[in-house]
Amino acid sequence: MSEALGDTQTAQTAVSDTVRGEWEAAGTVSLRVADGPLVGPLLRRMVSIVLARADWPLDGLDDALLVCDALSAHAPGRAQAGWLALSVRAGEREAELRVGELSCEGAADLVRDATLPVVGNVLEGIATKVSVEIEPDGGSQLVLVLGTDPSEVGISS
Amino acid sequence: MTPDMELALAARAENIAIVRHVLGGLGEAYEVPEEKLSDIRLAVTEACANVVVHAYPDGQAGQMEVVAAMEEETLTVLVRDWGCGISPRPDSPGLGLGLSLIAALAESVQLGQGEEERTEVQMTFALSGATTDASALAGANTLAGASTPTGTHTLTGTNSHTGTNGQSA
Repeated sequence: MSEALGDTQTAQTAVSDTVRGEWEAAGTVSLRVADGPLVGPLLRRMVSIVLARADWPLDGLDDALLVCDALSAHAPGRAQAGWLALSVRAGEREAELRVGELSCEGAADLVRDATLPVVGNVLEGIATKVSVEIEPDGGSQLVLVLGTDPSEVGISS
Repeated sequence: MTPDMELALAARAENIAIVRHVLGGLGEAYEVPEEKLSDIRLAVTEACANVVVHAYPDGQAGQMEVVAAMEEETLTVLVRDWGCGISPRPDSPGLGLGLSLIAALAESVQLGQGEEERTEVQMTFALSGATTDASALAGANTLAGASTPTGTHTLTGTNSHTGTNGQSA
């Protein structure tokens, strides 16, 4: 479950060296996109193919796309300068998704708004870690670590 | 022109699939006709394949970027790398059809060196269905942050491959 917002611990410290090694091997895919209607389609596609290539199970992919939907719904309008910086890197068990170039309070507001009645907070419910990093220019960055059950790696039934 | 998206990733063959998939999102958002989107994907795939095969020889690691911008029914896509540049390569493993294919699919193509010694292939695609005047587009659709390539060579969509200088796929 997620830790408190405002925790500036970087997501890298939350994962093992093995997982980090997998990430380095897989490489990070970064996307800067104009704040607006492009965010949703591009984010979903970028995340889905990167996770699929890392052999994530369908359940894990489905959860990740729910996160993407929540981000797409609430991130637009919170960019610091008209752009959102999205990046994803994935291993077989964990993936890190970053949403950067948000306004000062943008990342925290984004998490706060991703709450559905009955369901609760989508980001905190799905991600194994949610943290906010303050960038040197005063903006903020949301860091989500997503995990999947190793026993489900591959196509789940 | 301000880019709408900038995709940065390692110049590896497997990452070309990511570029193609993300471009699909661009087509979805801009409601690009499927046939046109296929052309765009193919042309950009060829440009990315050139980067993967030629830009970083001997297994060097390197980055490639795909930048896209839409303006007035024209989609401009720029593929850039920081590799060894475009030069004749007699031992090219490809068939040498890449740039010809790109030129056939795009309304205009510009090749050149940008800032920071990056190699850039800039393609424009008219989405309105009407054939766009390639000469009018050439040089007019430079993406922000991508300076007009110096020593630019322009290919047109009419199979007149003037100014090519060797990179192939």
